[in-house]
Amino acid sequence: MPGKYSNEPMLEMYIFETSQLLEQLEHAIIICEKVNNYSIDAINEIFRFMHTIKGSSAMMLFNEIGSLAHAIEDLFYYLREQKPESVDCSTLSDLVLEGVDFIKIELEKIKAADTPDGDPQKLNDKIKAFLSLLKSGNPSEVELVRPVSNKQQQYYISPDKKADEIRQNRFRATIKFNDGCEMENIRAYTVIHSLIDTANEVFYIPEDISENEDSVLWIRENGFEIYFATEENYEEMNRFFMQTVFLKSLDLVQLENDDEFQQFNKPKKSVIENNNEIKMPQIERAINKEQTIKEMAGASNQVIISVNVDKLDKLMDLVGEMVIAEAMVTQNPEVKNLELENFHKAARQLHKITGELQDMVMSIRMVPLSTTFLKMQRIMRDMCKKLNKEVRLEVVGEETEVDKNIIENISDPLMHLIRNAIDHGIEENDERVNKGKERVGKVTLEAKNSGSDVLVIIKDDGKGLKKERILNKARENGLLEKNENEMSDREIYNLILLPGFSTKESVTEFSGRGVGMDVVTKNIEAVGGSVTVDSVEEVGTTITLKIPLTLAIIDGMNIRVGNSRYTIPIITIKESFRPKKSEVITDPDENEMIMVRGQCYPILRLHKHYKVATKITELTDGILIMVEQDDKTCCIFADELIGQQQVVVKALPAYIKKTKSIDGLGGCTLLGDGSISLILDIGGLTNRLT
Amino acid sequence: MVTVLIVDDAAFMRLSIKMMLEANGFEIVGEAANGVEAIKKYKECKPDIVTMDITMPEMTGIEALKAIRQQDPKAKVVMVSAMGQESLVKESIISGAKTFIVKPFKEDHVIQTITQIAAM
Repeated sequence: MPGKYSNEPMLEMYIFETSQLLEQLEHAIIICEKVNNYSIDAINEIFRFMHTIKGSSAMMLFNEIGSLAHAIEDLFYYLREQKPESVDCSTLSDLVLEGVDFIKIELEKIKAADTPDGDPQKLNDKIKAFLSLLKSGNPSEVELVRPVSNKQQQYYISPDKKADEIRQNRFRATIKFNDGCEMENIRAYTVIHSLIDTANEVFYIPEDISENEDSVLWIRENGFEIYFATEENYEEMNRFFMQTVFLKSLDLVQLENDDEFQQFNKPKKSVIENNNEIKMPQIERAINKEQTIKEMAGASNQVIISVNVDKLDKLMDLVGEMVIAEAMVTQNPEVKNLELENFHKAARQLHKITGELQDMVMSIRMVPLSTTFLKMQRIMRDMCKKLNKEVRLEVVGEETEVDKNIIENISDPLMHLIRNAIDHGIEENDERVNKGKERVGKVTLEAKNSGSDVLVIIKDDGKGLKKERILNKARENGLLEKNENEMSDREIYNLILLPGFSTKESVTEFSGRGVGMDVVTKNIEAVGGSVTVDSVEEVGTTITLKIPLTLAIIDGMNIRVGNSRYTIPIITIKESFRPKKSEVITDPDENEMIMVRGQCYPILRLHKHYKVATKITELTDGILIMVEQDDKTCCIFADELIGQQQVVVKALPAYIKKTKSIDGLGGCTLLGDGSISLILDIGGLTNRLT
Repeated sequence: MVTVLIVDDAAFMRLSIKMMLEANGFEIVGEAANGVEAIKKYKECKPDIVTMDITMPEMTGIEALKAIRQQDPKAKVVMVSAMGQESLVKESIISGAKTFIVKPFKEDHVIQTITQIAAM
């Protein structure tokens, strides 16, 4: 598109808006399909979605997408106008969803800066075939071609002026419009519409401009010819016609007599009457609409703007930097030991504001899980159709919000889990009946907040996991590390999360070869979450994804070991204390434990674990910090606590991660004095010990 | 500077028109995503020209056009239509729209139309 601006923002907006529309469209269709009925509102809505996509795509010159959208728009136009009684909802949904998929694929190509080269022709034909089937299935309906023009002469007479007025100037005007301005017939109509304000008698060729689409071609070829009588003079009329938009040429001639007018001497009909006829139903519709508008007005007042995610990421980074800078100022060694009452007051104020700012930025980045859950409904539908199973999806808590970056990472795992549940979990409908279960299977997708985490739970009421088979398989693949008899149920079930584990011998189209479950774990762990599996045979399986609310900033306790600093997420800390010698126990394997209120906890010496030189090696000289994650507890031994601080989590640089996968590190951060602190991954550490 | 209010339910279309007009020295004083909003914004901004999409949720462009023309009989409204909406465009013209542009539109077409209507 040539212009004085870059079309990049337009492309971005196009992709953004079209994807959004597709999502809404998908949702609308799935709802309609559920009730097996396309309501008038839904048809209207879908028509509008397709209309918008068609328009935008044509603007961006994505003609393939445009043509497909046009085909679907036509289909829904028919449904809207003719309201045929027997519509095959299932086929209709399939067709439209296929269209949605096509556009989605093309959008992906556009996003990747490729040419959207998919050919929708086949699909277009299918849609057209469906449309003609609909038309033939409803023969009583009127063919939906715009009313054929009745070749009757069209002319206008201003009602308040008499034709045979004194001092009439008669003119002939021939108008040509600019090439490519489109809808020349309606443009001609526009001219006539404003002309009747000044002219008394108006005739024109071609006559059927507003009814016959072919008149466009005629006007393009020969121009639009108008004969009219008026009291205005030549200059006035010339000025009038020059105002015409997209006027290419005007040939205005004043006629000496009314000979040329005679050819139009035919029965007269007032345009005003005509208009009233056309308008009547419109007015009625407008009244109906008004009521709905009143009902919906409240919703439309919401003020929302869309912001580029990159900007939000940048903002988050900046706020992170500010948190560090704040710590650098307020904890500056040069002011630390000074008695500066006013400075500390101001510092506290600054701290309060940065805190609020942080919360605000976080909340901006939070998005509800509902769109992700919506996608699952679509997957569910496709799966059920293909596998011929009837399964109900129950969604709970889709309004739960998580960080934008996290959403992107959990969509794939969720999809996989849902597929697993339907394919492997839920039994065939008949089998379910034989077992005395409800015929239709049920998968529940639930999200809820739990402290600083979000739990996403996928639960099915299928056949459950079989412990024996899992153990056998694990043994075959050499995945068993512990004695089988000592393993808890949960540990056995969690074996399925290990790489290379699969109990399903046959491979189906959807759930694959068991490469999935460990990918699920990987994806979830990448965002700092964890996966647990619970199952009861013949009752069902529950898979819980525990995901942190946000990744970026955490409350941390900074500790020191030798010259190194470490940060422990505050939420994992239960207590910290200086141990007494008598409480420390050493087991035969030289493992140290500590007895606290009758409970034994393992001790992890950070200086040993990370091989850091320090003078403090006696437990009684340093401090023990009791931490807990995933119901596992241990005590971390450090030299001293430095203090609590909000820290910005930065991922470990890739080269460090690559050269050495370091145990128990979740990332790193900058402290107020500019030194680097390593953030401990408590889950990793406790898992190693227990 | 000629002021314009852009009414379209598609953000993409609003952006397209806005960028074209702004690049040519028009001032966009407001945007609205449906007819109800358009009427409200028209009262607030008093723009010289309104570009009005026809197909919109809640209240169509034609209904909004009628309401705006009732408020202000001198209002200059340019309809934004798609191919195949001839009858709706005709209805708009009867209801007082000055002219129309057809999607997909080219920059020079839009500018020419708006410039001409502004000069009226």
